[in-house]
Amino acid sequence: MIIFSERINGMYRDVRKAINEKEKSVVQRLVKEQVAGGADIMDINLGPTKGDPVENFVWLAQTVHEVTDKPISLDSAKPKLLAEAVAKVHQALPGTKLVINSSTAAADCMATLVPVAAEHGASIIGLTMDQEGVPGNVERRVECGATFFMTAMEAGILPEDIYLDPIILPVNVAQKQPWAVMEAIRQLAILSDPPPHFILGLSNVSQKCLMRELINRTYLVMTITAGLDAAIMDAADKELVEAAISAEILLEKHLYSDDYIKAWKMQKGV
Amino acid sequence: MAIPDVKEKWSGRVNTVTLGATPAEGGTRGSTVTVGGASGIPFLSFDGEMPHPPVVAMDVLDKQPAEWPKALAEAYGDVWSDPAAWAKRVKELGADLVNLRLVSIHPDEDDRSAEQAAETVKAVLAAVDLPLIIWGSGVPAKDQKVMPKVAEVCQGENCLLGAVTEDDYRTLTAAAQAYGHKLISLAPCDINKQKQVNILVSDMGYPIQDLVIYPTTTSLGYGMEYIYSILERGRLAALAGDKLMAPPVILDVGHESWRAKEARSGDEVAELWGPADQRGPAWEAVTACDLLQAGADILIMRHPKAIEAVRNAVSQLTGA
Repeated sequence: MIIFSERINGMYRDVRKAINEKEKSVVQRLVKEQVAGGADIMDINLGPTKGDPVENFVWLAQTVHEVTDKPISLDSAKPKLLAEAVAKVHQALPGTKLVINSSTAAADCMATLVPVAAEHGASIIGLTMDQEGVPGNVERRVECGATFFMTAMEAGILPEDIYLDPIILPVNVAQKQPWAVMEAIRQLAILSDPPPHFILGLSNVSQKCLMRELINRTYLVMTITAGLDAAIMDAADKELVEAAISAEILLEKHLYSDDYIKAWKMQKGV
Repeated sequence: MAIPDVKEKWSGRVNTVTLGATPAEGGTRGSTVTVGGASGIPFLSFDGEMPHPPVVAMDVLDKQPAEWPKALAEAYGDVWSDPAAWAKRVKELGADLVNLRLVSIHPDEDDRSAEQAAETVKAVLAAVDLPLIIWGSGVPAKDQKVMPKVAEVCQGENCLLGAVTEDDYRTLTAAAQAYGHKLISLAPCDINKQKQVNILVSDMGYPIQDLVIYPTTTSLGYGMEYIYSILERGRLAALAGDKLMAPPVILDVGHESWRAKEARSGDEVAELWGPADQRGPAWEAVTACDLLQAGADILIMRHPKAIEAVRNAVSQLTGA
């Protein structure tokens, strides 16, 4: 399981304030917490913050990098901003692996971001949607996912650097979608050998639900069974992380031992 | 049609472990032995490298063996009442390591004391300058008394001590830690327990990098497929990046092979099975060669002819 930490996000009030006031300690405490919980990649999202967004991305990436040398995922829905931010962050932190989060499968979006990923040796997340919006069914997700995957491969990006995100919608408003996402993963997984990674912004499934943690945990286990191997999630949520590890043990992704949680931590060095 | 590329891409690698210590390293050995380091399936040079081909440790018991068959008596009968002389013999025969078994400390054998065992170890260390593997009796209560003393008298020699198990690991781990030795981690026929023992030992602060694992051995004809699959699964986990399964593997080939009736029976069955002086060594050699393919890094062996055959096999497989 590749854990993208979701916590360094300007949507959270404490992070937003930290970015606006350039207060490193708040961010760095969260980073340490996420890394200790087993985060592999630090996703950073500015949210609705003040100032120049490219400069904010560089500041945030440098702030994160001061406490961990793990890869950094730049998270924004604005392709031009992402392209510029990736170039600047790569310049500031040349040794750090970057992830572009994310491109859609719309031609102009891919044309902006896929070459940037190839140029900077970055991984890239492709949402299974295009200019027509988020698909409500399995077929369109698979179509968009396949288009993105082929485009990235043609640009010379390896499957191990490609993540497909079939976009999960909140269960309280779109109850057919959790199943459709799982089915799309199953179908996209047979596209290539080795397959790309599959990722979700997990907590979206439980937006505005009452039982958020239980839904997140249950759905993560379900999607791992379908082939999900990465998630943007809260690495500090111990029960969530341990449920994911247990699911992977039951799918024989790791060798079982009685202390398999401890083994997983030793493996990560946390 | 193009030939498909079947090369595997592995993210992990078997740990490299060095045994013995020369005077420059604080010991008295003539040289050291390094095992492990493979980055792919054994002997598939296109898949990954095997920087340290498997080595042979030869058995030396601390008392005359009671039930060794004629073929082994012919090789060691004149020296086996004296462990030091026996150790010299295995060095002459080309052993990479001496595998010293303290069988006499077993309560059902001679119940010898820690001090007596320590004397034996000192005598063997003085007799040959090969690195040593030293095994206790397998009886926890007795080994807990003897092995710390043994570890102490060979301090600085960087020996390989056996074995820690899920139920009995604290004393030996502490002794290995205190006196600077490597450890054998044993889990009979159970790869999941093997991982668990390694977790327990490293939880005590003992480095995984200093472990050698012993997932048990069998002889040809006695469940080879089963043991092979256990060894293979452990090795594949290591190559896939499981650090807890990355230690090199030691296998007790001689002991298992010479328990088999096919190896032990004398010439009374020669008409059906062939002459005993060839059959026994062949049984040991074929067992060893099977286990080499499963990923053995240290083979503990007995008969000189079997060892010669295994060395030939290794050099042919590695193209050396």
